[in-house]
Amino acid sequence: MNYTLHIQLSSVEGAVIRALGLIERRGFSLVTCSVSEPDGTGRDMEVTVSSTRPGDLLKRQLERLHDVFSVELKPVASMQAQQPGVRPITRRT
Amino acid sequence: MNVSTQLAPEQQLSGSQILIEALKRNGVTDFFGYPGGTIMPVYDALVGSGLKHYLCRHEQGAALAADGYGRVTRKPGVCMATSGPGATNLVTGIANAFMDSVPMVIITGQVPSALQGTDAFQEVDIFGITLPIVKHSYIVREIADIPRIVDEAFQLAQNGRPGPVLIDLPKDISAGTGTWIDAPPASLPAAPTADVEALKKASEMLSAARRPLVIAGGGIAISDSVEVFREFISRTGLPVTATLKGLGVMPTDDPSFVGMLGMHGNGAANHAVQNCDLLMVVGARFDDRATGHLAQFAQSARIIHLDIDPAEISKLRKADVAIVSELAPALEAIRPENTAKPTWLAQCEAWKKEFAWRYDAPGEGIYAPRLLRDMCRVRPDNMIVTCDVGQHQMWVAQHCKFNDPLEHLSSGGLGTMGYGLPAAIGAKVAKPESTVVCVSGDGSIMMNVQELATLNRYGIDVKILLFDNSALGLVRQWQEIFFEGNYSEVHLDDNPDFAGVARAFGIQARSVKEPEEAAGAVEWLLNSEGAAMLHVSIDSMENVWPLVPPGKANHRMMRANPVRGK
Repeated sequence: MNYTLHIQLSSVEGAVIRALGLIERRGFSLVTCSVSEPDGTGRDMEVTVSSTRPGDLLKRQLERLHDVFSVELKPVASMQAQQPGVRPITRRT
Repeated sequence: MNVSTQLAPEQQLSGSQILIEALKRNGVTDFFGYPGGTIMPVYDALVGSGLKHYLCRHEQGAALAADGYGRVTRKPGVCMATSGPGATNLVTGIANAFMDSVPMVIITGQVPSALQGTDAFQEVDIFGITLPIVKHSYIVREIADIPRIVDEAFQLAQNGRPGPVLIDLPKDISAGTGTWIDAPPASLPAAPTADVEALKKASEMLSAARRPLVIAGGGIAISDSVEVFREFISRTGLPVTATLKGLGVMPTDDPSFVGMLGMHGNGAANHAVQNCDLLMVVGARFDDRATGHLAQFAQSARIIHLDIDPAEISKLRKADVAIVSELAPALEAIRPENTAKPTWLAQCEAWKKEFAWRYDAPGEGIYAPRLLRDMCRVRPDNMIVTCDVGQHQMWVAQHCKFNDPLEHLSSGGLGTMGYGLPAAIGAKVAKPESTVVCVSGDGSIMMNVQELATLNRYGIDVKILLFDNSALGLVRQWQEIFFEGNYSEVHLDDNPDFAGVARAFGIQARSVKEPEEAAGAVEWLLNSEGAAMLHVSIDSMENVWPLVPPGKANHRMMRANPVRGK
């Protein structure tokens, strides 16, 4: 199952990596991720994830973080629609 | 709470002096640590501050002592170390507190801000390393932030589900100067209040159930809800089992208590869980050591899950009714009727008789379970038992009697060998009026044996009961049963003379081997003046029974050694 998470969180040092680390550690693959700081009061993060685990559990685990202000969760029907203009990956040889 | 000195406005203070002041304003009186390069400004400010610092002899010892202190006081235990190896040595203790929801504040020195990220001497990203095992963490970037960060750290560590909070303090901050700036009140999430409909539904389900059972978890002690829980059980007549960390929530001898469940739980408890039709889980989290094979755990039961942490609901087992709340008000609000079902209670009682512990084990040596039972028959009222990890830990859980969960400190989630001695130090510092007994094994004691020096340095009166089977007993037992006796790296025939080791550290000690010596030796241990060690040699092939094999359902427990019948 794929989900989009819209996470609003503090701009403090470590907040983004704390949230992203939790997502992977709790068994969700990161598919897309974008972070912005629209008005200086906090960060806005949109993440698409994939997992066999329930998304609402991840939402509650993220909401436990002190840096996180809010989390919205939406199931995503198809991952294709979520991947804008993907470039092929070139590995370093 | 405010025991601070008066600070003149605009008084110039070092960051370290501000930190010490902030610790005092948060009620700290005692803490544990080890100095080193980058934390030296704080140790400089410590002199004459009025705070009592206990120098442990390894940073892991300091962190686990802070854990023991935090458990018995329900207030953050504090530990401190320098950057680099000092900080990394704390990691096991931090993880231990995280897994068992123990309030703790950890302060680490850090290289100066300008050197961070340059691979400086003793630089390590402790903030990054500990991200998965802290409730929250900070790197201090401004001296002016210290009071706010310390206040927040203490409140976060205790608020809701407790946990460890780390403060990383670069040396330019601790050595720089500034003024005290009062922190604004910390913004913390409000305690959740139970959904009224869920409470009503829980009451209805409990009233309707034919075979209802309650699991008492560690959260009941953490939230100081023991009395309310006991009142709930007294009012409803429901039978109760407990997780490892829930032991003592009901007195061991209480008629409603069917014993600990899980891998080394009592048969009565495991049969009750597997046969109940309604399971009310209070402050517990369906740990795999408690549930056994999850899909077969309490298969015919509906679940009422009561916990303060919403992220525990339906994490492993789907809750039919979830109550996210402080435990005490929810327990008071659940008012079922006719919950004492005579047939079911009679069945639980019959299981208790069938699976009552036996102490007639064959063998000529000292039988550790019997010694523990006998110790608890002569124990003082205010005894706290700390454990290490292994066979002795399970024997303590099975055979000691507890009247309160804070009488039993055990590393439940992380299973940290080496926990017992430093935890005992923390518990004794926090509760000097208690008799603190550290039950350990010959494997575990060596993990933090250096803390014998801490006992001696401060005259901390901890009694060590050391079971020595010349083996890593629980691993040896598993190799015997699940690896066809292919023993690999478990024999400790070359153990040191433990009584001699204790004496070398200035701790009085005795060694016993014969069963007839045991009672007198335990009496000597409990009544000795000051710290003491009783070294007890036991059969190296003794096993812990029953045992639910990994991946099996709880009712499929093995009750004795299939080969030796013991």
